[in-house]
Amino acid sequence: MIATTREDWEDLLALSQSESAARPLLERLLEHWCRLHRAEAAALYLERGALLERECTHGPREFPDFYDPAAPAAEFARGLALFRLPGGALVFAPGEIPLADAATLLLSEASKASRLSRQLKEQRFQANYRGVELEALYDVGLKVASTLDLEELSEEILLHAVMLLDARRGALYLFGPGGYKVQRTFGGEAAESFAAGDSALARFLAGEPGAPDSLLPGARHLLGVPIEIEGSPRGLIAVGDKESRRGVGPFRASDRRSLGLFANQAAIALENARLHLQALEKERLEREMSLAAEIQRQILPKGAPEIPGYELAGWNRPALQVGGDYYGFLELPGDRLGLSVGDVSGKGMPAALLVSTLHSALRLLLERNGVGPDFLERLNGHLADSSTANKFVTLFFAELDPGSGELGYLNAGHNPGLILRRDGTLEELGSGGVPLGLIRAAQFREQKTAIHPGDLLCLYSDGITEACSPDDEEFGLERLGNVLTDCRDQPLPDLIQAIERATTAFAEGYPQGDDQTVVLLRRAG
Amino acid sequence: MTESLRVTVDRQEGVAVIHTEGYINNQGGEEIARVAYQLIDEQSKVLLLNLAGTKIVNSIGISILIEIIEKMIEIDGRLGFCNLTQTIAKTFEIMGLAQYAKIYPDEAQALADLRSAT
Repeated sequence: MIATTREDWEDLLALSQSESAARPLLERLLEHWCRLHRAEAAALYLERGALLERECTHGPREFPDFYDPAAPAAEFARGLALFRLPGGALVFAPGEIPLADAATLLLSEASKASRLSRQLKEQRFQANYRGVELEALYDVGLKVASTLDLEELSEEILLHAVMLLDARRGALYLFGPGGYKVQRTFGGEAAESFAAGDSALARFLAGEPGAPDSLLPGARHLLGVPIEIEGSPRGLIAVGDKESRRGVGPFRASDRRSLGLFANQAAIALENARLHLQALEKERLEREMSLAAEIQRQILPKGAPEIPGYELAGWNRPALQVGGDYYGFLELPGDRLGLSVGDVSGKGMPAALLVSTLHSALRLLLERNGVGPDFLERLNGHLADSSTANKFVTLFFAELDPGSGELGYLNAGHNPGLILRRDGTLEELGSGGVPLGLIRAAQFREQKTAIHPGDLLCLYSDGITEACSPDDEEFGLERLGNVLTDCRDQPLPDLIQAIERATTAFAEGYPQGDDQTVVLLRRAG
Repeated sequence: MTESLRVTVDRQEGVAVIHTEGYINNQGGEEIARVAYQLIDEQSKVLLLNLAGTKIVNSIGISILIEIIEKMIEIDGRLGFCNLTQTIAKTFEIMGLAQYAKIYPDEAQALADLRSAT
């Protein structure tokens, strides 16, 4: 009998009314069924998809977890009688047992109720899980606004994708100049990178069967979707091996749609983080440039030394925040004056660093050894050793004896200096060597001239003579000479302003392409 | 990142604490269930799952956790969860786990509450 006492009946009634006690009820009914039919052991299986899953057993015998009606294993049913119950349940028990009695009917009805209850529970589970999926999409959407850390965001995206698709493996790639580069992996290794034009990857992302072998090595089933912004690639998400209670299997078509939807959200979040990183990098560079500009301002002279009988002035206008031009005034032994104008190849931070090297080397060499015959050779050697192969410096260095007006000068690949003589003649102080830092064994020849009363010396960088008009015409040496001639009697700061105004007017708003530097020396006359 | 689940058990006074580290998926869930059912067989009726080392739970893992909850209800035991990530806490809420198992912010609060009820 199912129940022999009032307590038994109450117990059974309670079991039948309890949602969570379907299995104990079935166990109880199966036990009763066995007792009634004198079966020492039995197992009850309920439908679960295409298979039947063991729900409960009675007796000492072991039964497998699943039974496949399409391919029943011989040893499974050996010595067992199979009873099909209405509602998709199977009972296996040894021996021949008559059917259609009250106990079998009761077991059948309970099995049906249990199966329906399980289906209901599974449907509720699936409906709830749709809620989890929507929540995950919402969460990633929120990250768009709240997370700008690319590392954190990448982990969030990959973990959500793996979780949502019940995947065992996953990888997130970001697209850059070299193609797709792995950013995050989960559950195992993934290929480091893929070229932008990898045809196998492109076919896989388009949904065609077959994934590149190296994508998630060892994964048997793969699914991948591109991460795109307005059709241009930003990355990809790949997941591997969809889990079920029986192991891993292929992904469904609906999984591709879910992952695609997820990738759309991820694309916006990743793009936001990428733009934020770019902005931070720009800000960092600007800070660096600003610091370098400040260092360079410290290198350039604050004013000009007082030389009796002479006027002296210098001016510099960089094309970028940090320029590659340099000028300096150096007081040398014997009341002599050193004048230098240099131009480092390139602009920006690398040029500024070389300017700093030039400034330090120039000062150290002159303080230690004076000008001397091999001064420029030693400076050249130092710069050749301390600069990269494609970096060089042009330099015009002059040494003035203020008493006699004698001017010795060395020109390492720089623009010729100009002397506007008192009688209006314009003389060029030509080049005497290659730029510094290019050839270690280069030699330089000092030349001499004199600054007479009323003469004006002008040293400058190519940013003046090569200032461009919108028609691509250069300002040139002749126009510079004309300004010097026209304004020769003006105070030097005014003369420098005249040069600045002339080049600016000539450019007619065309951007300044190179740094501009002018040093002027006039002997009272 | 640890993906395969590691489970350790810490028997506190009256409460068996199961610490997890890694992915609660099919394999991870089965491992938790194996440990939980063994504890139940050893007469532990109050379990605490400390998920501090877990960032991710999939639907298979959740279904196994639900089975453990059902088992605990069957034996009239108590089950709690603590140290859940925001995502996992939200998932448990939506999936209804929070109706049958209490969720605590940390282990100390969980132990205090679970012990008070034993």
